[in-house]
Amino acid sequence: MKERLLKKDDVKDLCTKASEQWETYVPLEDIGRDTHFIKLNGKNKRLLLDRLNLDYESLLVPPKVIAFPQLESLFKFQDGKIIETFKPSVKRLLFGLRACDVKGILFMDDFYKRNFEDIYYLNRSMDKLLVIVGCKSPHENCFCTSTKTGPFLPLPGSPERAKFAEFDLQLVDVGNEYVVEIGSKKGEEFISSYSKFFDDASKDDIEHKKQAKRQAEEAVSLKLEFEKAVKKFCEDKVSRRMYERIAERCIYCGGCLYVCPTCSCFNVFDERKSSLGRRCRNWDACVFDGYTREASDNNPRFEKWNRTSRRYEHKLKYDYLVTGMSGCVGCGRCLSSCPVNIGISQVIEEVTKA
Amino acid sequence: MARVLTTCIYCGCGCGLYLETEDGMVVGSYPSRNHPVSKGALCVKGWNAYEFVNMLDRLNAPLIKSNGGFKEVGWDKALDVVSKRLLEIKEKYGPDALGFLSSAKTTNEENFLMMKLARAVFKTNNVDHCARLCHAPTVVGLAATFGSGAMTNTISEFEDADLFLVTGSDTTEQHPLIGSRIINAVNDRGARLIVVDPRKIELAKYATIYMAQDNGTDVAWINGMMNVIIKEGLYAQKYIEERTENFEELKRAVEQYTPEYVQKITKIPCNLLIQAARLYAKTKKAMIVYSMGITQHTTGVDNVKSLANLAMLTAHVGFASTGVNPLRGQNNVQGACDIGALPDVFSGYQKVTDDAVRAKFERKWEVENLPAKPGLTVTEIFKKAREGKLKGLYIMGENPVISDPDANHVRQALEKLEFFVIQEIFLSDTAQYADVILPAASFAEKDGTFTNTERRVERIRKAIEPVGEAKADWEILSEIARRCGYKGMDYSDPSQIMDEIVQLTPIYGGMNYERLDPFGLQWPCPSKDHPGTVYLHKDKFAKGKGTFMPCVYVAADELPDDEYNFVLSTGRVYWHWHTGTMTRRTSTLNREVPTGFVEINPKDAEKLNIKKGSRVKIASRRGEIETKALVTEKVKEGSVFVPFHFSEAAANVLTNPAVDPVAKIPEYKVCAVKIEKVTS
Repeated sequence: MKERLLKKDDVKDLCTKASEQWETYVPLEDIGRDTHFIKLNGKNKRLLLDRLNLDYESLLVPPKVIAFPQLESLFKFQDGKIIETFKPSVKRLLFGLRACDVKGILFMDDFYKRNFEDIYYLNRSMDKLLVIVGCKSPHENCFCTSTKTGPFLPLPGSPERAKFAEFDLQLVDVGNEYVVEIGSKKGEEFISSYSKFFDDASKDDIEHKKQAKRQAEEAVSLKLEFEKAVKKFCEDKVSRRMYERIAERCIYCGGCLYVCPTCSCFNVFDERKSSLGRRCRNWDACVFDGYTREASDNNPRFEKWNRTSRRYEHKLKYDYLVTGMSGCVGCGRCLSSCPVNIGISQVIEEVTKA
Repeated sequence: MARVLTTCIYCGCGCGLYLETEDGMVVGSYPSRNHPVSKGALCVKGWNAYEFVNMLDRLNAPLIKSNGGFKEVGWDKALDVVSKRLLEIKEKYGPDALGFLSSAKTTNEENFLMMKLARAVFKTNNVDHCARLCHAPTVVGLAATFGSGAMTNTISEFEDADLFLVTGSDTTEQHPLIGSRIINAVNDRGARLIVVDPRKIELAKYATIYMAQDNGTDVAWINGMMNVIIKEGLYAQKYIEERTENFEELKRAVEQYTPEYVQKITKIPCNLLIQAARLYAKTKKAMIVYSMGITQHTTGVDNVKSLANLAMLTAHVGFASTGVNPLRGQNNVQGACDIGALPDVFSGYQKVTDDAVRAKFERKWEVENLPAKPGLTVTEIFKKAREGKLKGLYIMGENPVISDPDANHVRQALEKLEFFVIQEIFLSDTAQYADVILPAASFAEKDGTFTNTERRVERIRKAIEPVGEAKADWEILSEIARRCGYKGMDYSDPSQIMDEIVQLTPIYGGMNYERLDPFGLQWPCPSKDHPGTVYLHKDKFAKGKGTFMPCVYVAADELPDDEYNFVLSTGRVYWHWHTGTMTRRTSTLNREVPTGFVEINPKDAEKLNIKKGSRVKIASRRGEIETKALVTEKVKEGSVFVPFHFSEAAANVLTNPAVDPVAKIPEYKVCAVKIEKVTS
């Protein structure tokens, strides 16, 4: 499928127009100079779009929150009867994703239908269009070139194409325009629906695109021997002492798990007032004692290092054995959100050096 | 979905966080990456700050006591009853028969209105709040020695310090985003750490020197360090001459506190004390960090003054990454003090006894005869209520039945009141005693400002509408004032209240909401072009010369004897906040620590045949509780520790209400108890 061209000046109009058909999410910068994916709604979409930021380093919280919010009310109950509160599923456009986050989204989608279908998750996630805007200025903690999850995803048919890397459109910044790569039939249909915003890309544009991609790759400075690390984890060649050191330093905030694009654990609880109640779920984290503590008060993982090891083994061994892909997308968020500077990148470094 | 930048509701770190909302519910909280304290991280409480806001058992309509229970009434009725009853008590018994407890959990604007209501409308200075129970000695002690009763330095300066002297602060548990900075400094760049704490807290494992003093012997070891520093000539002579006064008296006073003498009192080995003194004196960028372990004593003020003496002796005040750094507990306890929710000062620590100050407030508020006599403190308010001398009580967002010492006496006091009104978000243990309960908006449902421990005045922003019929505390207070016939408390927006605060309060003088975006300003900020103050006492002390105020060691009020043979200290755990009204409704936090416990040393446990999880009874002269045992080396032999979060095992049933003579803070950190295993 041939590349197209989208003028930067037209992006806001495109998003505004598309938001009539799609529930549209775009990265907006707020007063605290952080960027979040926010739903484009209300009367004043253009005012919201004044804060559009497609050049962000990385989002502190991954876009998994769109389908998997930190707290979700699943259903209500009253006098012994369940009251469903499902909202009808809608078509969603996620415009401005980073490549690494696309892997996160697809990984989560796979998890939530792998062994059972989680209707609450799938209802929020089913019908969506993923538009990548490739990363130009990665955060210093990023290492996507090592995990092969960015800064751009390979096109369909490319020999490098891996699992969990399907996108619909991929935009490459070439100055005043984006060169648009088409990753799926859905992506192509989107372009036809909004054809007035897209031109054909010239040979020069394609050349600029290649250059921009090369530059983006070079901008990712943190390089790790990721595959070697996964191999070591799969062969159980990781020292207990390393886990103990991490566990000793950790202050158990849960942040690294909350911000991980592939962490999918939740806890379920009911809250009630007399005969009225609500069943909710919220993000959980396997480093907490209560995560595996049993009713008897026994915790099979009562030592902290045991809970630490599970986290890394899950990402770098278990996920790989089950899906053929590790659960790390190289986004560096775990380090960015850690109050005591622990990140999976350091674990990978330590394991591969040993 | 929408996200709103605001400030965390829990501790004094004041982290910037985002609340995510969906369909009127708060569905997430995330750290701000650029906020100078959170820098992309939060502790577990901050990450879970979203949950309690949505609880179905939030108070959502005004309640009036009726036939032993409560019945819902409309706002008009509730407000009429409150204003009428308060005015009646004022008429019948005089203004000082009323007491007002403000709240370190609410905003500066709301604290300002509470003290304005007490003073301008009801003409009493009986207004106080829970700072009395945490850092009242700091306000008094640091004001006396330095001229300003606040944290001297700034949280980001922890990132450059070379030494931390941490005492009476379980920093990783209580101020996690400060604790983490200490861990990083020690681990990653070789900063040194001295921990002085009877409990072997988490930070002890990182300590260069760890000293476990006996509870309540702080003046002795601090004097001991100064004794060594003076004897070895390690004090800052030039600094002392130029910037301080009263050094000779200090010199005389600490002479007898030789390491040998101090060891007898504190059980700190001489050699450790000497090493610690040398290390602290010789390290330029050295920060003293303290909290409740220093203040919650009958000698709280003396403890604080002694730390101030130590810092001045070694020129550790007035420079970056140094100072005496009290870590304030509540999200807005600094602000509630700044804003004058204290019985002796208006906002900005301007004394009620000062005629010119009163005249200024009278003019601005358009009232006459503001009361000149300092009012009652929290502890005195409950004492007077129990004696039947204080008749009416107004509480905003405090839970003294669980948080104040000698809880049984607090309950008796509440029962004796003629009228008691409370503004709350949940039906707390204290609210059960109220005649009228007014449902308040939570931090997610209103605008305003909090002031964090480093004096940073920062915005909180409304993310959702108040639940049910709940109203923001500032709106409720304005309504009460209006119904009492006072016209000077009508505001359409909290920013107008801030504008009034700014006009009356020199340390906040250059602020307004626009300037406070995005991450606030640190006071003093006296004018519109002033950038705020990162650290205090640069070049000279706020009061001119810093004053050495030597103190003499005095033992705690109640020490173990043959019958009550253990020392009890109380405090908090990482997963919970104070009386648990919010954290015990937060599933992740409550699952981690679902109920109370007592920490006991393995040797003591063995003697008493107590094992992990055993049910034990703990009794003091004031009451007894039953809870489960946690056998741990964290506490010394002969000592036990009980967290105060849990109403079913309420530590404050046991604690001693004896107070510091000046700051009136109770001695939560030392009392005598006995323990036995419960055999069913």
